[in-house]
Amino acid sequence: MKSASLVVRDNAEPEDVALFSSFIASATFWLLLTTAVGLLLSFKFPYPDWATSPFLSFGRLRAIHTNGTFYGWASIALSGTAIYVAARTSGIGVSNKWLAWLSLACYNLAAICGTITLDLGINYGDQEYREWVWWVKVIFLLGVLLSGLTVVQTVANRVEREIYISNWYTIGGFVFTPILAIVAIIPAYQVGLGQVAVQGFFMHNAVGMWFTFLALGITYYALPKLLNRPIYSYALGVLGFWTNLVFYPVIGAHHFEFSPLPWWFQTLAIVFSVGMLVPVWAGTANFALTMRARGETVRRSYALPFIVVGVAYYFLGSTQGTVEAFRSLQTIWHFTSFTIGHSHATMYGFITFIAWGGIYALLPRATGKQPSLLATGLHFWFATIGVTAYVIALSIGGTIQGLTWAAGNPFIASVDAAAPFWVARAVAGSLMFLAHIIFAYNVYLMTLAPGRESDHWEPQKPERAATA
Amino acid sequence: MNRGMNNVWSLVLVSAIVYAALAILMGVVPGMVLSRTPPTVGLHPYSVQEQRGRDIYVSEGCEYCHTQNVRPLKQDEVFGRPSTAGDYAYDTPELLGDHRNGPDLTNIGGRQPSKIWQYIHLWEPRSVVHGSIMPRYTWLFAVKPKADLGDEVVPIPSGFGPAQGVVVTTTQSRDLVSYLESLKQVSLTKRTGK
Repeated sequence: MKSASLVVRDNAEPEDVALFSSFIASATFWLLLTTAVGLLLSFKFPYPDWATSPFLSFGRLRAIHTNGTFYGWASIALSGTAIYVAARTSGIGVSNKWLAWLSLACYNLAAICGTITLDLGINYGDQEYREWVWWVKVIFLLGVLLSGLTVVQTVANRVEREIYISNWYTIGGFVFTPILAIVAIIPAYQVGLGQVAVQGFFMHNAVGMWFTFLALGITYYALPKLLNRPIYSYALGVLGFWTNLVFYPVIGAHHFEFSPLPWWFQTLAIVFSVGMLVPVWAGTANFALTMRARGETVRRSYALPFIVVGVAYYFLGSTQGTVEAFRSLQTIWHFTSFTIGHSHATMYGFITFIAWGGIYALLPRATGKQPSLLATGLHFWFATIGVTAYVIALSIGGTIQGLTWAAGNPFIASVDAAAPFWVARAVAGSLMFLAHIIFAYNVYLMTLAPGRESDHWEPQKPERAATA
Repeated sequence: MNRGMNNVWSLVLVSAIVYAALAILMGVVPGMVLSRTPPTVGLHPYSVQEQRGRDIYVSEGCEYCHTQNVRPLKQDEVFGRPSTAGDYAYDTPELLGDHRNGPDLTNIGGRQPSKIWQYIHLWEPRSVVHGSIMPRYTWLFAVKPKADLGDEVVPIPSGFGPAQGVVVTTTQSRDLVSYLESLKQVSLTKRTGK
């Protein structure tokens, strides 16, 4: 392989490039729409009388923001990248491309139907991250199965001897998620407190067995590729895979500490939350050691800074999650805005930054079109400063909220105390949304824009280079 | 390294079996067992009207800001006695929630028994709670030039009502408030056994 700072074009089939580009374009649409919704929500804290309409009310839009960012933006971006990575690491084109196209159609259809039904007030009982009604979830599940089948078949047809570690992770995500979806959809055993137990299991597994596995898989591919250096330890990667698989499903009940769920069940979840430090620290160490002494390469790359921030938030956000699970701290932080800060540290700082890193790493190699250097820099700094300010504001604000309750003040005192931090969150959110607009512009440059092929390319397929 | 796992289908199969086993153990079995929790003695199922009101509560996403989960902690004492497993026997979907942008509502029917207050508060929360950040739910009411016979007029404090006419309740607001009024904790002291 060539020097990392000089971007090399992948020898990808044009149909695979079109497929990858379409996944990323779809994902970008959902990112823009659902973070615009998030921004609107953040301004409803200081201005609750603003945009009073059932279709713009907080209770309906909140689920549109969370489900849309999860299943529209992150799922489509990561699935598309995982399919592309499967083809690259297998040394062949994507197998059964029509399955992947059908998968993309299912994902988009689910996100469209889910968004509309939620806005009409039709939801699955306010069950966080699974608010879409059952038939919308089934459409989404089809999307996961079809993308998964594409990845597995591509890897099965590979010319390489070994299954590359990134495919372990992405295949894991595609295997676990349909099982999780079936557990979540079947209503028969979800009555009253039973549903609470399933909800705790579901919400953490959606994050841990789907997004985490896909994002780690993409990191395991993009990082060595960008640094032109093998991953530090294959064994650490395999250790992370199995410990993630075994520990993650047990920690769900830590969302319901001090609830009437059995006390030992909550304790078990807390213990395994500590166990999660093993895969998190193993993964972080593996990535950090792969990047060791390559600061200059990181600085010159479009994609690597995003991955560095993503890995940093993987470490910080996940470790924070462990600490947060301790009962002593839950007494203060539970029910406060602190947890919203945590979910943005992980789903945004970690998952979204890794998705961006993967896209900036691989999309230019696929299409032969580079993003704008200035726009990428602005995207990076707005998003990084934005999410960091967001997390800090809500961590402080949430702590104050919890301490106000503990002090025995009237409830409204906690609202007054948190108010300035909610304003700070709205400002930080504005910066993040600005970053998304810039990212969308870059996606346009990397896909549809004419005449973007850089003269730095070393095309491996002469006929594609001629399109410039 | 790990030669046995170089068949992709065995990777799929092994990880699927491990995860399915964990999903059954940590998700399905707890769900099945806890779904059979008997109701707290003295707890009644919701009436038809209360259930309709509960559906509106779910539909409008009230749960995102209001918990129904009183913890055995000092700071939760203001909301009622600690919630017990049997309190949720008739609560499907469950609405325990995990955010308190507003107060816990487990015992709101006991803590705020005035229906009139609930109507005014739903129309414009800031007319009764200074500094509240709760949205207005004006679409649960009707505004009329003047009240007809049988209408329930909501006495909106001056400055918060419509420019013209009166605010009257609708089936929706009556259903929702009947649900809120039904949220009263059952005393545990009469219980026998544990």
